[in-house]
Amino acid sequence: MKIVFDQVNKNFGIIDVLKDISFEIDQGEFVFILGNSGAGKSTLLKLILNQLKPTSGTITVDDIDLVKGSKEEIDSIRRRIGVIFQDYQLIADKSVEENIALALNIVSYPSEKIESRIDQVIKEVNLSSRRYLFPAQLSGGELQRAALARALAIEPQIILADEPTGNLDIENSWNLIKLLKEINKKNNTTIIMTTHNQDIVTSLGKRNIIIEDGEIKKHHTHSHSEK
Amino acid sequence: MNHIRTTWHHIRRSPFQSLIAIIVMTLSFFVMSIFIFTNTGLSTVLNYFETKPEITLFLKDGLDKATVEGIQKELSNYKNVKEIKYISKDKALEIYKEQNKDNPLLTEMVTASILPASFEVTVSEPAILEEIYQNYSTRTTVIDEIIYQKDVIKSLLNWTKNIRISGIIITVIIGSISLLTIITIIGMKITNRKEEIKISRLLGASKFYVKKPFLLEGLFYGLFGSFFGFIFTFFIILIIRNSVNNFFQPVVFFNINPVFYLEILLIELSVGSILGLFASWIGSNRYIKY
Repeated sequence: MKIVFDQVNKNFGIIDVLKDISFEIDQGEFVFILGNSGAGKSTLLKLILNQLKPTSGTITVDDIDLVKGSKEEIDSIRRRIGVIFQDYQLIADKSVEENIALALNIVSYPSEKIESRIDQVIKEVNLSSRRYLFPAQLSGGELQRAALARALAIEPQIILADEPTGNLDIENSWNLIKLLKEINKKNNTTIIMTTHNQDIVTSLGKRNIIIEDGEIKKHHTHSHSEK
Repeated sequence: MNHIRTTWHHIRRSPFQSLIAIIVMTLSFFVMSIFIFTNTGLSTVLNYFETKPEITLFLKDGLDKATVEGIQKELSNYKNVKEIKYISKDKALEIYKEQNKDNPLLTEMVTASILPASFEVTVSEPAILEEIYQNYSTRTTVIDEIIYQKDVIKSLLNWTKNIRISGIIITVIIGSISLLTIITIIGMKITNRKEEIKISRLLGASKFYVKKPFLLEGLFYGLFGSFFGFIFTFFIILIIRNSVNNFFQPVVFFNINPVFYLEILLIELSVGSILGLFASWIGSNRYIKY
């Protein structure tokens, strides 16, 4: 699924959050979105998910215009995207297991395989002991891993990760990056990740888009060859 | 299966709201069932009288034999007269005693002299009854009173009509209240689960997918409400059936055929399901905007 932003602007009232943003992300790329708080990184991810509509410009995902696309097309795109929200967006009265099962049910994952798929992803994110706990009973890091498990479970074509290491300690942060890198390599899953952590970006040497005051300041594309 | 689980989860999470929805629905169907069974019983009574055309002419006391025979002859000249039965004063006393055999106080004081003799005329064409009535109602020298089922049928028709109309009005009012209650309860539940719906939509769930558990919830209220409403009525009928049927003898006011009750139950379950689904469909369309 190719993602194309073409001269996208997003305003909230009189505030220009994103200005004239244009880029393309091919299937299988690992891209970091960098920038200070309030630079517009999360807004950019929300636009890809069609959680927000652009004020002007066009965004296409898998050749579907997100503004003009039908509800069915948008739903279909969303079902192919795994999202790790900055605020986790886990359902409070569902356990970790039930939150993951919900995502699997939405993508019509074969019901007989749901249980084993949950086992698998929960192990991958090292959350087996928290399987039956509710979000309110988890720490920040565990919530982040639960959100990651839900995103990974559906075997998405794109993963949008909004500051996924924000609440993790160094070890868990690197484990998460390692996991995302593996998924990217093994499944050719596109990873788009916003972060403040310059160390991670530098060490991975992947493509990065730096946003400052809603505009793309730098666009490093050297990672294409490294894929 | 997954949607049924989610629906059951929603019901369990707010049991009081669910209980209120079921109670209101049960009340609607209880009232509806009462009117259905009462109306059916009254229709049976009406039908009984309509298919037994009869007129009774009570004679004045002291008529001689020739006059009585003359009346009988006149009556037999009417077309479509099936039977003319002369009830003498003694026979009238016999009938009276038989009807009141359980109450000796009523029979002790009565003698044949105070009871009038009468003619019971049965016809095959009900229109003849009106003709006989018109002819004899003016002959006050020989006829004391005429009892004609026209009055009974007219009164029964009025009763049936009034019960039917009030039944429909009350059912519509209570049905509308239960419809509004379910719409409101579904709306409250949707508001409570706003976050879950929003997250599900972001994960790619279609609008119908997120609406489905709420639609099933409405269906559940409709099904259970109509079932309980019917069951309550059924038990009340079981309790009062014998005494009511005795009162209306020989007419069977409350049907005793189980197939009839099963049919009514199936109809009510269908109406309940449609009502519940309709209410939750309105509720979910109204409240799920995202």
